[in-house]
Amino acid sequence: MDKISNKYAVVGVGEYERSRKSGTTPLQMALVAARNALQDAGLEASDIDGIMNYSTGGDSCTSHEVATYLGARPKYVKDISGGGSSTEMLIGDAIGMIDAGLLNTVLIYRSMNGASGQLVGRGYDPNMLQNALPGGSFIIPYGSASPSQWFGIFATRHMHQTGLTKEHLGQVCIDFYEHAQRNPKAHLNGKTLTMEEYLNTPDISSPFNIHDCCLELDEANAIIVTSADRAKDCKSRPVYIMGITPRETHPHAHYWSDLDQVAADHVAPALYQSAGVKPEDIQVAAIYDCFSWVVLRQLEAYGLAPRGEVGDFVAAGNLKMGGKLPTNTAGGMLAEGYTHGMNNVLEIVRQLRHEYKGSDRQVEDCEIGICTGWSGPDLAGAMILGN
Amino acid sequence: MTIQTKYEKPIPLKNEDNRPYWDAADRHELEVQKCNDCKSYLHPPGPACPKCGSAAVEWENLGSDIKATLSSYVISYRPFLPGFQNDLPTIIAQAALDDKPDVRILCNLLECKPEDVKIGMPVQMTWQDITEERALPQWKPTD
Repeated sequence: MDKISNKYAVVGVGEYERSRKSGTTPLQMALVAARNALQDAGLEASDIDGIMNYSTGGDSCTSHEVATYLGARPKYVKDISGGGSSTEMLIGDAIGMIDAGLLNTVLIYRSMNGASGQLVGRGYDPNMLQNALPGGSFIIPYGSASPSQWFGIFATRHMHQTGLTKEHLGQVCIDFYEHAQRNPKAHLNGKTLTMEEYLNTPDISSPFNIHDCCLELDEANAIIVTSADRAKDCKSRPVYIMGITPRETHPHAHYWSDLDQVAADHVAPALYQSAGVKPEDIQVAAIYDCFSWVVLRQLEAYGLAPRGEVGDFVAAGNLKMGGKLPTNTAGGMLAEGYTHGMNNVLEIVRQLRHEYKGSDRQVEDCEIGICTGWSGPDLAGAMILGN
Repeated sequence: MTIQTKYEKPIPLKNEDNRPYWDAADRHELEVQKCNDCKSYLHPPGPACPKCGSAAVEWENLGSDIKATLSSYVISYRPFLPGFQNDLPTIIAQAALDDKPDVRILCNLLECKPEDVKIGMPVQMTWQDITEERALPQWKPTD
């Protein structure tokens, strides 16, 4: 176990209502999410001395703007460019800065008009992409510009090698849609999915159809991280960071020459070592789910299901409430909403606080949870949390 | 192969790191980079070797007879870039060179129906003339 274990905690979480058309700016949404997180923690804006944010291609607002209109006067603001796993990276940075005595309490947010503004999944200007992506000129001329295509090529090979089937992918979607029916804040609350419907839906990028792809929405999420000592003064029940491994990489950034390894494979050993726990100790999971297959591949990478048997594991209902490893219990990014992973962090925090106690949404008596980030096969990060 | 008068799809942009690859493609040849220190072959090309970090990289011409084995593919039923709307479904496939299996190149798979594509199938490189000056490496099933 490393020296930061259990010394830092998430003490506040908050969000802005999810929709396809917010009718407002990422700044307005970020402020509401931040105020909700402050209220959740029982903190004032003046308690925040660091604000951090990530965005993709300028789709958000800056930490400086959020500080201004929150009425906070932080010592430090930071904005990075990133997608999935950036939440874990920024939490890692916040812990480092608090540990060094530079900061006390850090607000981290992700705000985006992901449906009415800039869409990730539908591609960008081709010449911009060729320049922006490492190796871009070797993929863009071939029509490969969507994550559904990039990850689809990994999924096809993985399915070929391990015997994973389309039904296994569908099971992930069905389980997360089912969880969304218990979550009034899930965007797909009210929309169920059967295996028959799933299998009858035509593919967008094989093996993925629309149900395999995350929901791009207008949404904002915020979390507050502080030390375990300060957490005692907060209103909320703290959720401690047992271990965190921000990012480790694949051999190449973006041009994935090796389809048999993903960054999550490299994150897992360091993660468990930092937390001092084993995969079998994990009771609830938030697995980055930009696509259904990404969940299956990560379950393998993090040792949560044996390689080659992850399909059987999922088919047996283990991801459902009441299963061995209830996963993405709010519906995840496939059925709740998509802010590059931060909504999954909010949910795991709420589960570990036992916030849903007495309802069918609570994973009973859960004490240890995992939250993973996946920016792509090349970048991943994860943390293990405990109550 | 016919030269299209109006090519709507993105054309590979040449830069300092990739120019020899695309210049060779325009001549219907394959050039790949190799590292003089760790002796790895590299693709995509870059300013240094991603395996050992050495800047001692040079180019090797592999000619025009390029055989490979399909390592994976995706069949794209929606266009995500201009020009592909006229060409659906598009097969995007990665293949490993038979002589240098560390070199895995992503292209479209031409002259193949989506239901016939299989991991492990033999393919060969072909060059699609996309403008009067430019050609794009592609895979097609081995004759």
